[in-house]
Amino acid sequence: MSLQTPLYNLNDFPDVYEPSEDTHLFIDALEKDMKHIINSKPTLACEIGCGSGVLIAALAKILKSTCCYFCTDINPKACIATTRTAKMNKVPLECTRMDLTTNLKCKFDIILFNPPYVLTEELEIFGCGLNRAFAGGLRGRSVTDRLLNNLNDILSDNGVCYLLLLKENNIGEIGEKMGEKGFKIKLVIQRKIPGEHLFVYKFSKA
Amino acid sequence: MKLLTHNMLTSKCVKGVNVGYPLTINASDVRVADVDFNPDFISRLIPKIDWPVLYNAAESLGHVEDLPKETPVNYENNEEFLKKAHRALLEVEVVHGELVCPESGRKFPINNGIPNMLLNEDEV
Ligand SMILES: C[S@@+](CC[C@H](N)C(=O)[O-])C[C@H]1O[C@@H](n2cnc3c(N)ncnc32)[C@H](O)[C@@H]1O
Repeated sequence: MSLQTPLYNLNDFPDVYEPSEDTHLFIDALEKDMKHIINSKPTLACEIGCGSGVLIAALAKILKSTCCYFCTDINPKACIATTRTAKMNKVPLECTRMDLTTNLKCKFDIILFNPPYVLTEELEIFGCGLNRAFAGGLRGRSVTDRLLNNLNDILSDNGVCYLLLLKENNIGEIGEKMGEKGFKIKLVIQRKIPGEHLFVYKFSKA
Repeated sequence: MKLLTHNMLTSKCVKGVNVGYPLTINASDVRVADVDFNPDFISRLIPKIDWPVLYNAAESLGHVEDLPKETPVNYENNEEFLKKAHRALLEVEVVHGELVCPESGRKFPINNGIPNMLLNEDEV
């Protein structure tokens, strides 16, 4: 099954993250895992940090009316851009502006997160603009770690979380920490691009 | 915002709030959209729904129609019921309005169908 990048138009949205190499790697990861995803019959899906909305739209184009699609972003422009992407691709995305999944009380069967993973000063994590798409704090993990610490509570028993990581995020340590919490961690896909070695991992309750 | 989303949203993260659920809806613009009906999906979704909260939300928007107050037994095979559930969960949308925290009274605006639940740092 081939997954095409959904349509999007960010001309009116200079503050929203333009789908980039990381986004495309993520779409390739979903394509690679699509059979598993379909067979697991997810009911509740959520993308955190949806930006343009293309990742969750790609998932929705495959699973269609068999699942519901929540998505969140702290950037208000990203939420608007995502609803536009939903219209362009005729998929029903439910976007809410919030931090991570803080205000959603359900457990998700599938979570997607392409986080701000760049190593920066902690001080660069401020406001709700384009900098929040990149700024990941000292190890590029300030936002990612908050999600992982909470993953047990927001993932359903058979749920899977797909997460993009950068080599410098110290993936070995993440694996160890999550392993201790009883998570199974599996590499889905990796790619070296100029200046970055990117990975998409999936986390499930073992 | 669909009523499905309303069914999942809480304001628990507000400082001093214990449950923050369900949020009150004050709607100024409600629309009914056409969404593909998938009975198998709706059957899987219903156990995850707080039904009384859905019923009351639909009622408060004037869209309860003939939605039952409780889910019937063997609803998986009750297509008529599943269609009503589908309509309430996925087709009724709040385009403009606000959500109100039942404990603190904090208001969360909904604009163009997008609720803004983000808090200021001093509220968490
Ligand atoms: C690297 S971009 C990815 C955008 C899009 N998903 C993609 O793959 O092209 C990261 C996104 O996460 C959002 N974000 C950052 N911190 C967040 C948080 N704490 N809660 C929700 N969204 C957040 C940013 O605003 C940005 O849109």
